[in-house]
Amino acid sequence: MSDAPPPTEKRKVWDVPTRLFHWALVGTVLTGLYLGEYRGFSTIQLHFYFGYATGGLLVFRVLWGLFGPAPARLGRLFPSPRALIGYLRHLFDRRPSAVAGHNPVGALSVLAMLAALSVQVVTGLCAEDDGLFSQGPLAEYLDAATVLKMTALHHTSSRVVMALIVLHLAAILFYRLWKHENLVTAMVTGWKTVRRDDGDGPA
Amino acid sequence: MRIRSLTVIAALATVALPALATADALDDAIKARQGYYQVVSHNAGMLFGMAKGEVAYDAAAATAHAKNLEALAVMNTASMWPAGSDNLSKAGKTRALPVIWETYPAILDKQKAFETASAALVANAGTGLDGLRANIGALGASCKGCHDTYRAKEF
Repeated sequence: MSDAPPPTEKRKVWDVPTRLFHWALVGTVLTGLYLGEYRGFSTIQLHFYFGYATGGLLVFRVLWGLFGPAPARLGRLFPSPRALIGYLRHLFDRRPSAVAGHNPVGALSVLAMLAALSVQVVTGLCAEDDGLFSQGPLAEYLDAATVLKMTALHHTSSRVVMALIVLHLAAILFYRLWKHENLVTAMVTGWKTVRRDDGDGPA
Repeated sequence: MRIRSLTVIAALATVALPALATADALDDAIKARQGYYQVVSHNAGMLFGMAKGEVAYDAAAATAHAKNLEALAVMNTASMWPAGSDNLSKAGKTRALPVIWETYPAILDKQKAFETASAALVANAGTGLDGLRANIGALGASCKGCHDTYRAKEF
């Protein structure tokens, strides 16, 4: 605790496509969850469209993770055990992480979110609703037992997505209140206060 | 020796045959009610298709499907639900949960909801697409209302 905080600087960390992706995903996922939770005969088609949009965003995110700038790269979502342990050791320090991108724990939560949303989209394409006589576009190619399994999975994984959203918000609050680090502003403006010795170049 | 074994076989057959017949009767009942729901699903599916615009709206056809549903809703299907034809006793063959029998006659409320919803469609499905759309949601809700409580999510 006695060591001086490392020198920091303001840097552009999140590029425009990554930020647009993030906030568009907030919109499609929350709307999709709402429309799914309170689905009705007249709105289920809308639920499908928001699901397709979510799927499109996920595909974009994977491509951007391959070709985009360093902080958005997919490799950054798989922290080494060493980096993870090193970060966890200081997780509860009352100072900003000042990481130029995803910190190792945040990376895992993003990975979990992307995985859960992928499951949500794929199972949704194969699911059916027996009260609305609606089914995802791939359901007709599957046998009945598989469609039932996909439907059950779709409902279960929606709860996983909700839990991850709550965790996401809780983590943001924790960083804001405990670590005095504002992650939301960084995701809005792209600018983040980061350690000068954090190797990533600007976006 | 030979006569004795024949006697044993005959005795066994006498004991086992009714059991086999019972198993067959349960399977038949399960098949019958699944066929019943196929017919329900077909008629409801045609109405949902029209309501969604996937099938061209036809007032006479819509009314006919609604009348079929109403007839199905009031049909006495008691013989299709013998005790022992639940999804624990007949795993893999049915999704009917034991709670149907445990809480009987509570499930009849669901059938009543089906009857009410189809009667509303008989009155309105033929009056135009709006009349169909305004009443089809209640039909789907009556399907789902029963499935949520009385049917397993998977086989």
